Amino acid sequence: MLVQFYNVSKIYPNGVKALDDISLRIERGEFIFLMGSSGAGKSTLVKMFFREEIPTRGQIFIASRSIVRMKRSEVPKLRRNIGIVFQDFKLLENKTVSENISFAMEVVGANIRDIKIRVPEVIEMVGLKGKEKCFPGELSGGEQQRVGVARALANRPLMLIADEPTGNLDIRISTEIMELLYDINRKGTTVIMATHAQELVRAAHKRIIMLENGRIISDSLAGEFFL
Amino acid sequence: MIIKNMLYFIREALNSLMRNRLLSFATISTVSISILILGIAVLMTMNAGSFMNRLESDVEIIAFLEKNLSSSQIRDAGEEIEKMDGVKQLTFVSKKEALHRLQENFGGKEYNLGTTIGENPLPNSYEIKAADPHNVADIAKKVEKVHGVYKVNYGQGVVEKLFNITKWIRVISVIFIVLVSLGAVLLIATTIRLAIFARRKEIKLMQLIGATDWFIRWPFFIEGILLGSLGALVAIVLLLLGYDSLISKTDSIYFFSLLSDPIILSKIYISLFLTGSVLGVLGTYISLNRFLDV
Repeated sequence: MLVQFYNVSKIYPNGVKALDDISLRIERGEFIFLMGSSGAGKSTLVKMFFREEIPTRGQIFIASRSIVRMKRSEVPKLRRNIGIVFQDFKLLENKTVSENISFAMEVVGANIRDIKIRVPEVIEMVGLKGKEKCFPGELSGGEQQRVGVARALANRPLMLIADEPTGNLDIRISTEIMELLYDINRKGTTVIMATHAQELVRAAHKRIIMLENGRIISDSLAGEFFL
Repeated sequence: MIIKNMLYFIREALNSLMRNRLLSFATISTVSISILILGIAVLMTMNAGSFMNRLESDVEIIAFLEKNLSSSQIRDAGEEIEKMDGVKQLTFVSKKEALHRLQENFGGKEYNLGTTIGENPLPNSYEIKAADPHNVADIAKKVEKVHGVYKVNYGQGVVEKLFNITKWIRVISVIFIVLVSLGAVLLIATTIRLAIFARRKEIKLMQLIGATDWFIRWPFFIEGILLGSLGALVAIVLLLLGYDSLISKTDSIYFFSLLSDPIILSKIYISLFLTGSVLGVLGTYISLNRFLDV
């Protein structure tokens, strides 16, 4: 078991209740969709995984460690085990594809030898061979998101968190990104993806967690839910 | 980890300095000015101090003796003074010797003071040198009470005046230094704040990827230290050039010789350099605390 949420609630200082008594269990190697309309609490839930938000009540364990009681100085260690893919890619515009990926390794203190081996590896994995020297501005949206995925994979995370990774992409390109994520999942990485793109989810036959008003309203396989 | 990444930190710091060239330049200039004022103040007080010491060591106490003392009484008075704490040297000046000196100083060869004024009106006296110039006033007071001494003379007032002047130099320069240093620190803080702002997306990303707080902070500290120490360096070069030419210009003026001990001077310059770096660290610290949530 990789992740466990126990009765997690989040109330923001302005009184908004974003999450309401969420309990959740995620096994190693799972692929999970987090669904729900905007305001349902998806974003807050996603941020809990890498301790960008801390629960007001409840406990969260990742690999058997409480991340609620975690010291601030231990947070970087947690995050090194979690790759994050963003809706808006968050690539550094003044760095090339290669540099964007090696940056992620440099900032966690990887040594140069590992970086030189790993960067071409993940570039090949996401199908961007030949584009190493391009700047983000020279790439299409789909290609930019591939760089985002490659960067998230660079440090060999246990878990990949993707927050609306296809939100800015059209359906054809989105399907390509999904194939990439399934592929990563098949190789053993746990993937958690927040989305509201029903057409992608329907085709997948994966576990789906539906949120509404901060509560889980269903947790099931795709087939069961949409039938 | 830190040593391994130093090159990366320095590269980031230099990039940031170059990105805000104009502000970097303004900051370095302000640091230079404050260090320059600090340096001038330090050199001035140190020179005034050594000048005063030399001046004070020249200050003599002259004890005039009563007219009708016998030679043994004169000797007794001399012995009593010589036994006092802090007396370095005692010289007896007879009334004859005193007249002789007066003749040399004022009479020259045209007037014979001895015949002009008739009987020698000058008293016998002792000239006393103190081991520590600060004790001159104390010793003078004690000498006054010695039997046979009717009047004591020393550079009353001169020493106190000098003390006052140097005290004011110190007070004014401290005020100046504090104000300008404050300006320098604030400007460094502003520069760092802009550097943080320019890289805020990168910083957020670094935090999410799992960079440690210190990994994110280091480049900014290096940038701040560079701003401070570069400013100090400019000031030190200016001071070196200015002070050297001042030394060579005042070389010919007797009694006014400037402090030129290379060991003391290099200590001053090194301290100034370190002060610049400390200003840089302070400025960075302020901005990191206020604007960087790490």
